[in-house]
Amino acid sequence: MTYESLVYGFVFLPLCLAAYQIVPQRWRRRVLLVFSYLFFWLISRNLIVYLLGTTVFVHCIGIWLEWLKSEQKTELASADRSEKKKIKGIYQQKSRRVLAFGVLALLGILAYLKYYNFFVSNVTGILGNVLPFTLEQKKILMPIGISFYTLQAIGYMADVYWGKIRAEGKLEKTALFLAFFPQIMEGPICRYSDTSDTLYEGRPLNMDNLTSGYIRIFWGLFKKKVIADRLAIAVGMIFSNYTSYSGVVIAAGAIAYTIQLYMEFSGCMDIIIGSGELFGIRLPENFRQPFCAQSAAEFWRRWHISLGTWFKTYIFYPVSMSSPVKKWNQYGRKHLGKYITMLGTSAIALFPVWICNGLWHGARWSYIFYGMYYFTLILLGIAVEPVRDRILNTFHISDQSVWLKFVRIAKTWVIIFAGELFFRADGLRAGISMFRSIFTDFDLNALTDGSLFNLGLGRADMIAIAVGCVVVAVVGSVKERGTDVRKSLFRRPVFVRWALCYALMLAVIVVSAYGDGYQTIDMIYAGF
Amino acid sequence: MKKKKRIILFLLIFVLLMGTCSAGIQIVAKNINGSVSGRSRVFASVSAEKKHTIDLLVAGDSESYTSVSPMDLWDKTGIAAYDCGQPGQRIQETYYVLKTAFRTQSPKMVLLETNTMFRDPGFLKNLQMSLTEPLSYYFPIFKFHNAWKALFDGPGILQNAYKGFEIRNKVVSYEGDEEYMKETKDKTDIPEVVRIYMEKIRNLCRKNGAELVLMSAPSPKNYDYKKHNALEEYAKEKDLPYIDLNLKYRDIGIDWKKDSYDKGDHLNILGARKVTDYMGKYLQDNYGLPDRRGDDGWKDWHELARQYFEELKKKI
Amino acid sequence: MEKLMNILMEIDDSIDYENEKALIDGRLLDSFGVITLVSELEDAYDIEIEASEMIPDNFNSAEAIYKMVLRLQEN
Repeated sequence: MTYESLVYGFVFLPLCLAAYQIVPQRWRRRVLLVFSYLFFWLISRNLIVYLLGTTVFVHCIGIWLEWLKSEQKTELASADRSEKKKIKGIYQQKSRRVLAFGVLALLGILAYLKYYNFFVSNVTGILGNVLPFTLEQKKILMPIGISFYTLQAIGYMADVYWGKIRAEGKLEKTALFLAFFPQIMEGPICRYSDTSDTLYEGRPLNMDNLTSGYIRIFWGLFKKKVIADRLAIAVGMIFSNYTSYSGVVIAAGAIAYTIQLYMEFSGCMDIIIGSGELFGIRLPENFRQPFCAQSAAEFWRRWHISLGTWFKTYIFYPVSMSSPVKKWNQYGRKHLGKYITMLGTSAIALFPVWICNGLWHGARWSYIFYGMYYFTLILLGIAVEPVRDRILNTFHISDQSVWLKFVRIAKTWVIIFAGELFFRADGLRAGISMFRSIFTDFDLNALTDGSLFNLGLGRADMIAIAVGCVVVAVVGSVKERGTDVRKSLFRRPVFVRWALCYALMLAVIVVSAYGDGYQTIDMIYAGF
Repeated sequence: MKKKKRIILFLLIFVLLMGTCSAGIQIVAKNINGSVSGRSRVFASVSAEKKHTIDLLVAGDSESYTSVSPMDLWDKTGIAAYDCGQPGQRIQETYYVLKTAFRTQSPKMVLLETNTMFRDPGFLKNLQMSLTEPLSYYFPIFKFHNAWKALFDGPGILQNAYKGFEIRNKVVSYEGDEEYMKETKDKTDIPEVVRIYMEKIRNLCRKNGAELVLMSAPSPKNYDYKKHNALEEYAKEKDLPYIDLNLKYRDIGIDWKKDSYDKGDHLNILGARKVTDYMGKYLQDNYGLPDRRGDDGWKDWHELARQYFEELKKKI
Repeated sequence: MEKLMNILMEIDDSIDYENEKALIDGRLLDSFGVITLVSELEDAYDIEIEASEMIPDNFNSAEAIYKMVLRLQEN
């Protein structure tokens, strides 16, 4: 059962909504938990033990950390000034160890499930003849959503450690935080403080939430089923037979894949966030018109936001504020100047972020390359900033000028498309060879000789994609101007409002890529 | 309260809208047959048949429409048959294909190929099929929605089909054990979902005055004695006639070297004609299905049969 | 407070720190700006700012930053 399926939207959700509404308020979160586990079990069956184990473990670590804090407080209360520092030191070390234990345990499980085979294949590839023993590849089944709930769990423990939140006392609450069914498969990766208030409250259903939630779900279905699942056909063809296409088609494939990925991932997010909204639960947004970004760094603040935020909070800041980096900072500013210091700090803090970003997507060299690609580009962006400012100053170009904005957006698009080409390519070698072919085999004839029409998409499919993209772009530009699309929709007269709703629903039912000639396309991010 | 009323009104209008669209698309699907392809085609094509002209419906998965050739049956016995199977048909689809056919046809008999009866895609898929199939039965827009593409892609090519049958002349021999029906006491399980839908199919046939007959087509790849036992038992329990052609393939004259389309999975045209001959005699001997060859309402069947034998001559 | 203003001006002198209430939320200060600010603050006030302090609320205005500094000095 995936989020875009009929069973999810029109059996599972309504059943859950009904059960949620019937029971008294204080039981509602239990209903959500039961349905969440049911959802998980229907997809991953026995692998649910991983989730259950993680939940209990994380819950205990949280309580342990909280207990250390209260112990520290009682001891501090009776200590005099000179002892206070010592006590603090002791407790800080203790809780740091507990946190490290918790984080390493979770990362260990994730690493084993996700990276074991990758590790083995690389080790045997390099050291195969030297090793006295052989490592076997194993068939490892990964529970759904592990990459997402593990990050949430780590974030939760760190937040308790930092004292940003109090540890959750009720196991069922921790469990629901990690397992909440709309976001278990694909995120958004929530922080405890993001969701905890609305998630546990058990507010009664109301018509406004239901209507606007379902509108958002249909909007997501539109993106996924009308656009993404169609593009998937052509993209699959190009990327699996890349040697037989010329550079122009490859470039078109990179663009098509980027659009597919966006429509698919952000479409699923709409369904997910819409599902939460039905219950009055607010999940954090994961996309903010990423194609309006003017730089690679900004792109990542608009694309898969929750992942970026997670890395920033739990890797970037801790690294950049760790004592070695601080020392480097001090040393650098005294001896090397601001610019070099800044660049050094950025490199040290950004490297782990982007290596993790690459690895998080899966154990493949092409993903690591993808991470390093953005690392390099973002660092480069920081490096050239002063130069760029100087150039702009000499030529008296305003930083805000419109054409400059467009140039920047166009530049960012090229960066994104190239990045996604490597991301999707079947291995790093394929990615490099495809990328190269764009420059060596660029034959514009491919645009006119009809080879773009031989990618499994008919004229009607192309029109559906084009119109769909225009609709999404228009809605996106309205949002970018700061208008809440659904709210402004609700202000229109009934006739307009209903007509638009019917149009959206009919478009999903009639134009979607399902039934004859189409196949169900699995959600891409559920595989990470 | 006002809000609730509004929602109900909204949904009512939506259902009306879907109904209208469905009616519209039904007409489109009937008239430009070629715009409906794949699994849904049989729904459109069986609806497009002239009313009350079909006396025998052959249902099931690919085993069904590769085993019975209506044109041969027509030529030999005058029985007006139609193949309404689909590749990998699921039991839910079987039910709704039949239901769709019964809307415009009044067959005397439904011949159900039994391979469908062992298909169990799992709980979720079953649930989904049990939802989508009735939905698209009542609102054909779900089934034929892709017909909008004909506006841009053209009406498509209508494949030559002889009442649901196509001539498959490829030969890929079956080289395996010819004694694949080894007697045993074991039984294959018939999935629960199949039992539920078989019950519905039985009721549907009873209500429409059609006799339901079970048939297992010869296929070493798909059948063994365990399935035979299960079907035998099921048929006895439900008081349904059951013919297992796997036990009779020698009488029918099947030569696994020549009559198989794909290594003993499906029959090719040679095998299909032999099975059709056999079944024709069996039906004539046991059931009083009418001979329509002289009737006025069936004149175009002669023309189709002529085309069929012409193509046959070219292909074999 | 004046010391703080000087530090802030050094990082970016185009911002109206007196009145700005959304330095982070309005993306006037990016993450590198914040990091530079943090190390400057640590030097200037002899405090230690931990990663857990890195929340928008602590950096959204000059006043908020000042409050955080005072709080950390007390500890």
